[in-house]
Amino acid sequence: MTINVRMAAVIQKITNNQKEFVSEGSNIKDLIQNIEKEFPGFKNHILTDSNEVHQFLNIYVNDEDIRFLSNLETAIKDGDVISFLPALAGGSF
Amino acid sequence: MLLKIEKKFKDFIINHAKKTMPNEACGIIHSINAVPTSIYEVTNIAHSPYRYEMDGIEQLNLEKKREKNGEDLFAIYHSHVATKAEPSPTDVRMAFFPPGNFKTDPMFDSIYYILISLEHTEADVRFFKIEKGPIVKEIDVLFN
Repeated sequence: MTINVRMAAVIQKITNNQKEFVSEGSNIKDLIQNIEKEFPGFKNHILTDSNEVHQFLNIYVNDEDIRFLSNLETAIKDGDVISFLPALAGGSF
Repeated sequence: MLLKIEKKFKDFIINHAKKTMPNEACGIIHSINAVPTSIYEVTNIAHSPYRYEMDGIEQLNLEKKREKNGEDLFAIYHSHVATKAEPSPTDVRMAFFPPGNFKTDPMFDSIYYILISLEHTEADVRFFKIEKGPIVKEIDVLFN
């Protein structure tokens, strides 16, 4: 199964500056584990110590936010594009 | 350092901020060779007067557009509806990834952070750089 991974420009340093690459996995959790094997430290940038996605890190399956699917258990299939990008956010205080 | 920016970009930001009241507005400016070329409103999915979060898909699509057009990310802007046009502690924290990780370089080390305040009758638009530390530096801008 081939999963296409796209990293937003601002966090490509955690994948050795690779913007797009292929990996494997049947769901997002598997995918993250497999990317971790290729890029050690990746997981720590994506997940908290309690294995939840960092609050301001967005993961999309094609154009769908995994928070509106099944989060880390979201099933993925051959040819899907998974995008990782940090939220651009802020506030008045 | 004096940055020269076409006034139409300032006008765009002010119009966007005013029409998004009472909530914060946000958007992105692209450039070629450090000269702004295009500006885009981005949906604030927080829909809040106190905070903003750019729509991720719109962010991704703009990143693809930059790649296609050979553009760079020049600046991100957002409004403060009732506070000064200065990066708040939250703005500074969110400039790093993970947020508040000041031991690393900020997510963007070469872009401008544009703040617009609607606190007073006349809108105030100011440019900043946020660097490791964190260090916040205001940039003088001439709109022409």
